[in-house]
Amino acid sequence: MWFLYALIPCLLVDGVAVLPAPQNLSVHSTNMKHLLMWSPVVVPGEIIHYFVEYQGEYESLYMSHIWIPSSWGSPTEDPECDITDDITATVPYNLRVRASLGSQTSAWSTLQHPFNRNSTILTPPVMEVTKDGFHLVIKLEDLGPQFEFLVAYWRREPGAKEHVKVVRSRGIPVHLETMEPGVAYCVKVRTLVKAIGRHSPFSQVECVKVQGETLPLALALFAFVGFMLILVVVPLSIWKMGRLLRYSCCPVVVLPSTLKITNSPQKLISCRREEVEPCATAVLSSEEPFRAWL
Amino acid sequence: MKAQRVSLWLVAAMFFLCSVHTRGLRRCLISMDIHHIEETFQEIKKTIQAKDTFQNVTILSTPETLHSIKPLDVCCMTKNLLAFYVDKVFKDHQELNPQILRKISSIANSFLYMQKALQRCQEQRQCHCRDEATNATRIIHDNYDQLEVRSAAIKLLGELDVFLAWIDKNHQGPSAA
Repeated sequence: MWFLYALIPCLLVDGVAVLPAPQNLSVHSTNMKHLLMWSPVVVPGEIIHYFVEYQGEYESLYMSHIWIPSSWGSPTEDPECDITDDITATVPYNLRVRASLGSQTSAWSTLQHPFNRNSTILTPPVMEVTKDGFHLVIKLEDLGPQFEFLVAYWRREPGAKEHVKVVRSRGIPVHLETMEPGVAYCVKVRTLVKAIGRHSPFSQVECVKVQGETLPLALALFAFVGFMLILVVVPLSIWKMGRLLRYSCCPVVVLPSTLKITNSPQKLISCRREEVEPCATAVLSSEEPFRAWL
Repeated sequence: MKAQRVSLWLVAAMFFLCSVHTRGLRRCLISMDIHHIEETFQEIKKTIQAKDTFQNVTILSTPETLHSIKPLDVCCMTKNLLAFYVDKVFKDHQELNPQILRKISSIANSFLYMQKALQRCQEQRQCHCRDEATNATRIIHDNYDQLEVRSAAIKLLGELDVFLAWIDKNHQGPSAA
């Protein structure tokens, strides 16, 4: 136990406890976006702040005591720092980080090998190839002002010449060519970063085609037959519907002959009282089928 | 007749050599983004130039310096001035403002990169130094030394736009030929 107590002064510098320095510094760089990362310093229940500084080759050669605070990393709570805005020249940069907790600060931890942005990983760019009528149009992702795009396009037929267009606009559709109907056009693209003098690999090839102007014969014939059918069927349907509606709304009622009365009702009434026989005969002649039915 | 033909051939050869030498600078700086450096300087130009206590005097824009440089001497002059800024001017200037320091650091490191590119060109014999370029460089050094160190440094920092525009103009193409 006494041994542990004896060690306490070693952990204090000028009466201030020393935090452990951040470890495992590394830079991850893709498409000219540079991220400095390190293993976090852990103190249970506390939030550690980190300070990041950089020094270009100029400073390391001529003014080695000068370290410049990072634009986004002084301070930061995350164990990483976007140093893209700090690395502005294609020379080696030294980077260092230290941890801070209240009045406690760690020693500086320096990146083992200076970082040069010409080591950035350039990926094939994302492109969207579309047809606007007969126009071949391409839209490219926005990778920032340091990127130019080399677009290669050609007709997919033997011996076709490959055209190359340099595109500097970002995120805006660009017209490449007016396409001939029935011919496939293929496109591929890669980036160029002039600041580091490097290209990315080419993207996957994408091909598009515009349909021909003349319809296939079968399609035309089918369309004609369909049109003629419509010409016949529609009037027929309308006529049939008309008849149906007429019979539904205003049917013509035809009385059966057994129910037809040839004399007027006035005469019938007078016949019942005074002229039974002639009337009865007359009535009977109408009623007979009815009685026979009963 | 023969003499006329020979002289015509000589003139043509000279023009060819001129264009080759002018293109020498453009080829050497082909991967350099001068506009980015110009934009960086624009952000601090007013602050720097406001500190210049001798604003009616110029070091780079005199008739004997940058404006007198011929296309053949462009590469050498650029190399000499870059070295002057890197070895002397940026060191003589003591900047305390972190924002300004960040921008000056960016320009200084970009100049270091340009120096390396031009050194590679010189190794390939594309950046010859004639007396005209050497004399113009000496005039600039002499004018700089006549001022107090910090004032001279601030003045040349303030004239970075002149230097960058001159590089850009010569970088763009053989029009100077």
